[in-house]
Amino acid sequence: MTPSITASPPELRDALYALSIAKDAPDAALLDDLVRRFPQFGGELTDFAISIAIDALHGEAVVEAAKAALDPNILSPAVSRAMSRFQNRLHAVSESTRLPAATDRSVSAYAINPFASLSREDFRGFARRLDASSVFVAKLRDRQIEPDTLTPGFRKRVADDLRAPLDVVVAHFAAAQGGTAGPQFYKADDKPNNGGRQTFEEAVRSSGLSEAQQRALLAL
Amino acid sequence: MARTLQKTGANGPLVRPDDVETQIDAALTLPHQPLRARLDITDPQDADHLRSETLVHLVRHGRRTGDQGLISLVLPVLLARCEANLIVKVPDGQLPEAATVREDILGEFSEMFASDGTGKNPDELDFYECKFNRAFRFFRIDVVRRETGRLKLVAQMPEPDQDGEPEPHDDVFARVSEVFRSPATQDGDVFRSELHDAILELPPDERDAVILVHALGYQEESDDPAEETAATRCDCTGRTIRNRLTRAATKLARFKEDL
Repeated sequence: MTPSITASPPELRDALYALSIAKDAPDAALLDDLVRRFPQFGGELTDFAISIAIDALHGEAVVEAAKAALDPNILSPAVSRAMSRFQNRLHAVSESTRLPAATDRSVSAYAINPFASLSREDFRGFARRLDASSVFVAKLRDRQIEPDTLTPGFRKRVADDLRAPLDVVVAHFAAAQGGTAGPQFYKADDKPNNGGRQTFEEAVRSSGLSEAQQRALLAL
Repeated sequence: MARTLQKTGANGPLVRPDDVETQIDAALTLPHQPLRARLDITDPQDADHLRSETLVHLVRHGRRTGDQGLISLVLPVLLARCEANLIVKVPDGQLPEAATVREDILGEFSEMFASDGTGKNPDELDFYECKFNRAFRFFRIDVVRRETGRLKLVAQMPEPDQDGEPEPHDDVFARVSEVFRSPATQDGDVFRSELHDAILELPPDERDAVILVHALGYQEESDDPAEETAATRCDCTGRTIRNRLTRAATKLARFKEDL
């Protein structure tokens, strides 16, 4: 099943939204009022009012209990896949609105950067937990590393630590450079350039890490 | 200051509830670290719990301002809440491919944020900043109905023609009406759940008659040609509505015994 967002025209969707948000359960007065305002959708509004009335039988208590029981540290596969669909749609939207002169990149830079929300302390904490330097983490953030050379274990480690969907992290690494977001937390001497990318191993070797740190990262 | 909503609802232009407006204004000033802590709160009774309406606004704000970090913080939390809703509302067994339908709803919903501000319905998410649960209800039901419609290949059976005036079944429908018109409580969940399933099993014409008369409160028919009734809503006669109610009453008779 691949329904599209625009399965029904916007005017009909607006009428059905108006019906749904007005009350917990519709009544005759509400339906009559909306049919007067949207006479072209009388049948659809009636059908939908019936569906809402049946749906409202259950109430929201069970739903609220399920939400309250959520573990904020766990990201489900379904949510992860939904984030991927968000990414894909975002890519499509940004591609369609991009000016012709700017279409020289084959990969969009408009992917979510999971590092962008990190404060300076978060950024350093992430580097510490990874047992890496800020220079190396800046390369991750700024997409300075060839995505194909990153090991699956390393990608997962990054996703787990950032509590971000793996798909989001993978999409970030794969996106074009130039989508840098957030403050810069490295010294000017070590600032990664925005040109060619390094392989994962080159990035590890050239980030001021000890031999042991390098071995640990490459073994992930 | 939260951006003004553009859409119109049943009672005029949409306006966020005051408490949502206040929470959005405060949330927009939060740095990411304290925002992350607030997002971890799942108990809606906690004063620091962020409402879903607020989360929608934050994601849209991130989308408009290019704050990808904000989006990556907030959107997964909002989607997780939606998934919890869907697991309850579209349970396995209700549809042949319930898990796929749930995933489609979640995926379509996430795409709406990517398309926000574009296309033919650029402000659709306004509804979610006003009444999130009710707006998401529309979204969920809409996709489920499309899927149900796709799966239903059963030919419409001709309606049986009954002689004479149908028997009233007030005793059956008294309880049904009472349940529809009283708020759901934990105590009544089993009865409601059974009634819900029984109503879903009714043929569509009988189900529609039951809901229009006993849930929405329409008269079966009226001598006043200007009055909307169950008969006018279904484009049939009052007698047809009564016949449908009679057939439905037979199938719902067991709920009379639960009085």
